[in-house]
Amino acid sequence: MKTEKEILSGLKKHGSPTPSKWRENAEWRMANKSWLRYSQRIAMMMLDKMEEMGLTQKVVAQRMGCSQQYISRVLKGTENLSIETISKIEDALGLQILEPAYAR
Amino acid sequence: MRFDLITENEHLWAVKYEDSLDNVLDTILGQWNDVSWLRSFFKQNSADLASYFKITDVNKAIYDTIEDSERLQCLIMDISPDANLDEIFRPLDNSRTAEMILGKEKARLRNTPHHASWLRIYAIKLDPGIYVITGGAIKLTRTMQEREHTLVELARMEKVRRFMLDNNIADMDSFKDYLTEID
Repeated sequence: MKTEKEILSGLKKHGSPTPSKWRENAEWRMANKSWLRYSQRIAMMMLDKMEEMGLTQKVVAQRMGCSQQYISRVLKGTENLSIETISKIEDALGLQILEPAYAR
Repeated sequence: MRFDLITENEHLWAVKYEDSLDNVLDTILGQWNDVSWLRSFFKQNSADLASYFKITDVNKAIYDTIEDSERLQCLIMDISPDANLDEIFRPLDNSRTAEMILGKEKARLRNTPHHASWLRIYAIKLDPGIYVITGGAIKLTRTMQEREHTLVELARMEKVRRFMLDNNIADMDSFKDYLTEID
């Protein structure tokens, strides 16, 4: 007959060999919510423009001088973009992302 | 198939499928915050979005999903040890009134500010107040049978339920027996 402690230990051991990161990921989304909203909005603007211009991620990556994998992450809306990167996005897609703020 | 503990009080679990890097709760919350994935989904299902929710702006659908996903995420993260999960999960079949062994259940947000939330979390009920999450979906149609992605969720629920029955799991006690036996 197993004790409660042994059962609990068994239950915890049964968890995946690599512990779940669901809570860590959820807490990260909450802690970074404010800039994530900007990143998500930029991803939406980029995807709209890419569709309008018929551009693939590969072409955008070439225009920005970065990897396609990086563009894929940017389009998820989870990258903390530098001003340099935002400027490259504007040049590559003919978008105005920072201009309205600058104009004020 | 493995089972990850979601809440320390052992009332909420999530399935980790063989082909996934993390459990299904992490997967769906990740998808519901991924702009590229959401855009592709809503483009494919734009007719349902327009006819059932009168929304033609894909970016609004993406934004609403991210907002609702955050509310659901908070709801799960804030589950207290004495919380009653029966208030969050309801029978999948709205007409089901009697309890059944390993019942199929769903969770959704109530009283959302814009329109009725289309996010669903699906689970198997082990015992009153104890659930195992099997998946989740963006449900835009009246029934789950109408679209492939919701049919997949029905199939996953049945697969997990069948797995449990095949391993003599019928409630929390037998679930614990199963977990300790395989270690």
